[in-house]
Amino acid sequence: MNIGRVFRRLIELPTRSRHRIDRDLDDEVAFHLEMRVRDLTRLGVPEADARRQATKEFGDADRFKRVVGREDRSAERDRRLTRWMRDFSYDVRFAIRQVTRSPLFATIAILTVAIGIGANTAIMSAVRGIILRPLPFESPETLIRIYSRSDRLGPTAVSVPDFIDLRAQTVSFVGIAAWYATTTNLSGVGEPERLDIARVSDNWFDLLGVRPKKGRTFVAGEDVFGTPVRAVLSEALWQRRFGADPNIIGRSLRLDGAPVEVIGVVANTGTFPAGTELWTTTRFSPDDLVSSSRGARWLRVLSRLKPGVSLAQANEDVARVARLVEQRDPGHNRGYTAFAVTLQEAIVGDYRRPLFILLGAVALVMLVVCANVAGLMVARTAARDTEIAVRSAIGAGRGRIVRQLVTESVVLALAGGALGLALGVVGTWLLVHWAPPEIPRLDDVGIDRVVFAFSLGLALVTGIAFGLAPALQASRHDVRTRLQTDGRGMAGRSGSVRLRRLLVVSELAVAIVLLVGAGLLLRSFANLQRVDPGFKPAGLTAFTVTLPETRYPKDEDQGRFMERALAALKALPGVEHAAASFGLPLTDTRFQLSFTIDRKASTDPSFEPRGQVRVASADYFQSMGIPLVKGRTFGTQDRWGAPSVIVVSQELARRFFPNGDAIGHYIETGWGRDGHKLGGEVVGIVGDVKQFGLSIDAPPAYYAAAEQWPTDEITFALRGNSESIQLASIRAIIRDIDAELPIFDFTNGESLVRASLAQPRFYLLVIAAFAAAALLLAVIGVYGIIAYTVRQRTREIGVRMALGASAGKILRMVVGEGVALAAVGLGIGVSVALAVTGEIRSLLFQVNERDWVTLVAVAGVLVVAAVSACLVPARAAARLGPQEALRGD
Amino acid sequence: MASGNDSTLSLLQGTLDLLILQALAWGQMHGYGISRLIRERTNEVLLVEDAALYQALHRLERKGCIEAEWGVSDNNRRAKYYSLTTAGRRVLRREADEFRRYVGAIFAVLDPA
Repeated sequence: MNIGRVFRRLIELPTRSRHRIDRDLDDEVAFHLEMRVRDLTRLGVPEADARRQATKEFGDADRFKRVVGREDRSAERDRRLTRWMRDFSYDVRFAIRQVTRSPLFATIAILTVAIGIGANTAIMSAVRGIILRPLPFESPETLIRIYSRSDRLGPTAVSVPDFIDLRAQTVSFVGIAAWYATTTNLSGVGEPERLDIARVSDNWFDLLGVRPKKGRTFVAGEDVFGTPVRAVLSEALWQRRFGADPNIIGRSLRLDGAPVEVIGVVANTGTFPAGTELWTTTRFSPDDLVSSSRGARWLRVLSRLKPGVSLAQANEDVARVARLVEQRDPGHNRGYTAFAVTLQEAIVGDYRRPLFILLGAVALVMLVVCANVAGLMVARTAARDTEIAVRSAIGAGRGRIVRQLVTESVVLALAGGALGLALGVVGTWLLVHWAPPEIPRLDDVGIDRVVFAFSLGLALVTGIAFGLAPALQASRHDVRTRLQTDGRGMAGRSGSVRLRRLLVVSELAVAIVLLVGAGLLLRSFANLQRVDPGFKPAGLTAFTVTLPETRYPKDEDQGRFMERALAALKALPGVEHAAASFGLPLTDTRFQLSFTIDRKASTDPSFEPRGQVRVASADYFQSMGIPLVKGRTFGTQDRWGAPSVIVVSQELARRFFPNGDAIGHYIETGWGRDGHKLGGEVVGIVGDVKQFGLSIDAPPAYYAAAEQWPTDEITFALRGNSESIQLASIRAIIRDIDAELPIFDFTNGESLVRASLAQPRFYLLVIAAFAAAALLLAVIGVYGIIAYTVRQRTREIGVRMALGASAGKILRMVVGEGVALAAVGLGIGVSVALAVTGEIRSLLFQVNERDWVTLVAVAGVLVVAAVSACLVPARAAARLGPQEALRGD
Repeated sequence: MASGNDSTLSLLQGTLDLLILQALAWGQMHGYGISRLIRERTNEVLLVEDAALYQALHRLERKGCIEAEWGVSDNNRRAKYYSLTTAGRRVLRREADEFRRYVGAIFAVLDPA
């Protein structure tokens, strides 16, 4: 097969090449001169003179060739284009006629492509929106986030003194800003509400390049301790809470009960960090600035590279400054360095792998789609053998026929692509709405021009790809053979059947890879669901309030609020236990402190006792359903002023006490208030609780008594009939105590668990949907090929039956063919799956990526699916009477 | 289109086309044949530069007034033969009429009857 020639025909390269045009001109001029010389010599002119005269009469031959050659070439191109356009419009019209003539074929092909394009569009829009699209800030590629890094704990936030050193001593940045996300209670307008806010340094908006829509942003010096608190609102908050009040600038809000002046409104593109609706300034207190604050690493640092400075240079720069600080203050900073990553990486880095896994899965679906439609095209082209033979007999070149067939498949693919884009819009919507909320930048996900072009391009490439192979195959055979055999020639047929078998086997193989992936995720999800969270989710209701310092300045104030609220909550109908706490399990509350045991500093620096600190009131463990293992939980005697007591988790006891025997020992942290440090005598050991997520091991944890350690953020945990515990009645109770306190994070135990499962569930659902689509398409492929070969072999089956083969035997023969295809597909698919499932290891929980249970299950599913696909044609074959079968064909 | 020919009795724009079309009206002919025919019929008064002649031929071919095919000449050489198309015949008739009226008008002034 001469690919080059076919290709040339296909895109109609010049019938008269540039070279040919030049040669024709040369020949024409040479002929003229020769004839003139001949005539002149006949008149008696000597040959040399004749040649001179002929050349002179001709004029400038070189210029002639150059000018006319150029004009001829351009005309040739125009002519080719016109012809191509004419052929093309003919092809398209013919293709549409052909396609509408077999609506079933067209419908299946278009739907198949639409599924593939739809799925690809949805995933591509997610990948584009979350990972590829630049952040909505000025020159986002130069925005850099700076972290501290501990040799032992890995990346951490930055302390205030470290931030100030970085800002003063680095040379790579245009500017360095700091922020931290926090919350505030907004009151005074309607129902009090807790807002996610960011406290930022004064250069924040300038560094990001965010300009105010109204008013102004912060100016230099506005983040200094003691300056009045002023707020910048997001456009969304301004519209939502203040009805887009045109006179918002200068208006006073109540934040945490204190008046705050609004100075500006910024567009929603400035909504960074995620969810932020309001910005105030950092206003570090003098306590934050002393060197002992170096150990408190909670500040986030943002910077912008100077032009021409690379990320690597910036990294060297921040590491250099961190080293200087480490040398100056080894007490706090030994083992700490700093590093820089792009802001984009900092925000989406963790989601790149899962998203690319989804992209890989959806690409596999597209492969199955292509193979499936290619199979359909092969079958259809084979059925049109005679038509094609006639066309080539009356003079259609091979290229012309190939082009016609490819045009047909492109028309189908584009129709499928258009429908697929519509499905993609729906798919993208579903993806965004089902996606767990912790996935960043979901607001940026949508079908933009790039995704649109990608999808249409994919449809086009698909059309060409699945049209070209069958078209080349169909146009290969010799015309005479085909016309003589009237399209029944087995030569042509066996080739197309082989090709279709190959396509079906590849579809099965790809479907298996996806099924194995879905199976592994399913097993992993089942494992996650079986994980004991350490508390009893059923019957648990929880909500949170924060007490503003302005009105609850002292521990006693907070404690009094807690007591009043608990008393009222316990009186609610349906409530069995009510408790107050700090930090619910399965949320991202991270508050870890190291401690000493019996006031002895640890001698081994690598063995520093540490654990998550939680605060719990007397009834907390009953409310949560956390079992008491040993000793006692908190009681009414553990109140303000009584000796401090601590309850520890089993993991903490096991890890830091000989034989896990923690009771009676005294543990004390370095952190405290009003001169006394958080700690106390261990009075009880309770069960371990998954604090951060079902897939993350329960960390060592210890609990302080809420009555002894009141907090300004209180999460109430209620046990009882969660149907009868309503938000409205809780709101009424809290309003009675303090009308300005908003209630937030109202949830129940099941929701906590569900939220913790949201990400794995999401990945599982998407991959499973893809696997199901691939399996369905592969099964359709198997059915198609088996039904076709049964039709082809009707006569043979008749002969067999005449010779005494039973219906059962025929059935087994046909099904056997399908099982053989499935077996080959299975073999290939499983080997490919084993080679690639390592890629999804990060998404698996307690499942080996070569899990044999999954492999066996997938093999079972595949064989059952393949056999079912064969049964219909096999039954039809077995029902044939021998006479009928022999007459047939 | 610029003609390279302005050294001799310069031809009015379109006149060369007219001559070519008329020459081909008598039958298929190669470029040299047309050149010789013009030379002989005009008794070499109109000295047409051959380059200009061929340029006109190619232009007329592109416009579809004439068509060309490669053949073998009487002395067994590869030669390009031009012939008039239907469209070219129509153009010839129209242009010839126009030219006659034009020349008639000029003569009506130069030689008043």
